[in-house]
Amino acid sequence: MGALEGQVACITGGTRGIGRAAAEAFVREGAKVVINGRSPDKGAQAIAEMDAGDSVYFIGGDVKTRAGCESIVNGTVDHFGKIDILFSNAGGASNHAPVVDLTDDAMQDSLVWNFWHTFWTMQTALKHMIPQQSGRIITMSSVEGKMGKPGLSIYVSAKHAINGLTKSAAQEVGTLGITVNSVCPGAIETDIMAAEGPPAAESMGIDYQGLLDMFAEESAIKRLNETSDVAEVCVLLASDAGAGITGSMISIDGGTSPY
Amino acid sequence: MGKLDGKVACITGGTRSIGRAMAEAFIAEGGKVVVNGRDPAKGAECLTEMDAGDNADFYAGDVSKQDAVEGLIDFTIERYGQLDVCCLNSGGVKATAPVAQMTDEEWQLEVDWNLNHVFWGMRRSLQHMIPRESGRVIVTSSVEGKLGKPGIPGYAATKHAVNGLVKSAAREVGTLGITVNAILPGLIETDIVRATGPDSAVAMGLDGYDALIEMFSSESALKRPNRVEEVAAVAVFLASDAARNMTGNMFPVDGGTMPY
Repeated sequence: MGALEGQVACITGGTRGIGRAAAEAFVREGAKVVINGRSPDKGAQAIAEMDAGDSVYFIGGDVKTRAGCESIVNGTVDHFGKIDILFSNAGGASNHAPVVDLTDDAMQDSLVWNFWHTFWTMQTALKHMIPQQSGRIITMSSVEGKMGKPGLSIYVSAKHAINGLTKSAAQEVGTLGITVNSVCPGAIETDIMAAEGPPAAESMGIDYQGLLDMFAEESAIKRLNETSDVAEVCVLLASDAGAGITGSMISIDGGTSPY
Repeated sequence: MGKLDGKVACITGGTRSIGRAMAEAFIAEGGKVVVNGRDPAKGAECLTEMDAGDNADFYAGDVSKQDAVEGLIDFTIERYGQLDVCCLNSGGVKATAPVAQMTDEEWQLEVDWNLNHVFWGMRRSLQHMIPRESGRVIVTSSVEGKLGKPGIPGYAATKHAVNGLVKSAAREVGTLGITVNAILPGLIETDIVRATGPDSAVAMGLDGYDALIEMFSSESALKRPNRVEEVAAVAVFLASDAARNMTGNMFPVDGGTMPY
């Protein structure tokens, strides 16, 4: 008997990385899962690799638009009949620069990708969860949603904002059987990290390996985190046992953040 | 296949309430557990109720005393051959009061019970875990380890202090396969809270036990106290292999009370 038997989950950006690990953990625990991504090819590949039959379904769509976010969440309900768990996992940032040199476009893109996507999917999901008086929303923040790094302000700002949204929403729906929490992972070598890490490092005046080493060095475990670390916390938060946890920012960062 | 197959745990204050829920959850996941308490009769009752045969044992002792804490850990290692998970869970207040009225006796008791007990237990268990390069230390802190309330200065101060201890120790052993974490529950109607809550409410300027429960509940997003099972589930998680990369954490189980 899995911890998520009969539950339906929707994960933005779930074809690879942390979202994919969460999708696999949710399926293992008995849930049906929608994964999402921009590329139908990557979606088909993920579905084939997961080999989970009818328990996993891909919905394409760009989380950088409200329509995309609504179609992913509403599409989950259309396909599986309901939504119990939203994991607004997608995110990242491009065109990092120190604040003094930052472009409006870079800030705007990060806020849309991380923060607005989280808001749009949360709002859409709550419209289903509030009437059913049950649900779990897990937002993707970061260790940088609590800390801060030079040269990464577009990412740091968006992740802090997600934590604020999470705390407010948790207070709004706390008595309705719905919990809203964020996960705050340390650095993980995902596809997004491999793609966005090198330019981010450049913005910080270091190289990519130096960036990874810096994150590892800041932690107590002196190594990076892994996607499964985050996936298992998501299972805990999504399960019945997680009913007493809401409005929390759960650190999965090897001891980096002091609070 | 349980999440804690073959793991050995000890739990201070494990005969009832949060510690008891941890013990039952650990055993359900395949662990062996030594629970502790001051009262041998309650210990015997606990073992009978848990009905876990050779997978559970009891060690009597008052953990506000160093001998009892170290004795529990030594007994666990002797009884089951190792110690994988040390839950430093016991704690509370006896006759709390605002700072201006706090007695030295009460202050010392709270420091010994809530803080020194955690230090003594952590030190003894780390001495066993470091050579093995493996282990989990789980401290039951409190929402008051980040907040603070009138009338419970010793409780808030000692719970803040154990959070600092956890964060420092986590960094000392982070590369040795050992994690050190705190769980920060909101109010739970445990035996200790039922016993001392009425007096604590007076110290806090509240109109009785029900007002105490209501005040803590109203501070949360869930508008209810937490439950022992909610804390036990987090303890199982932190003790399991899945949490090997989480350390130095203040893990809230408080229904949305703490803002950070």
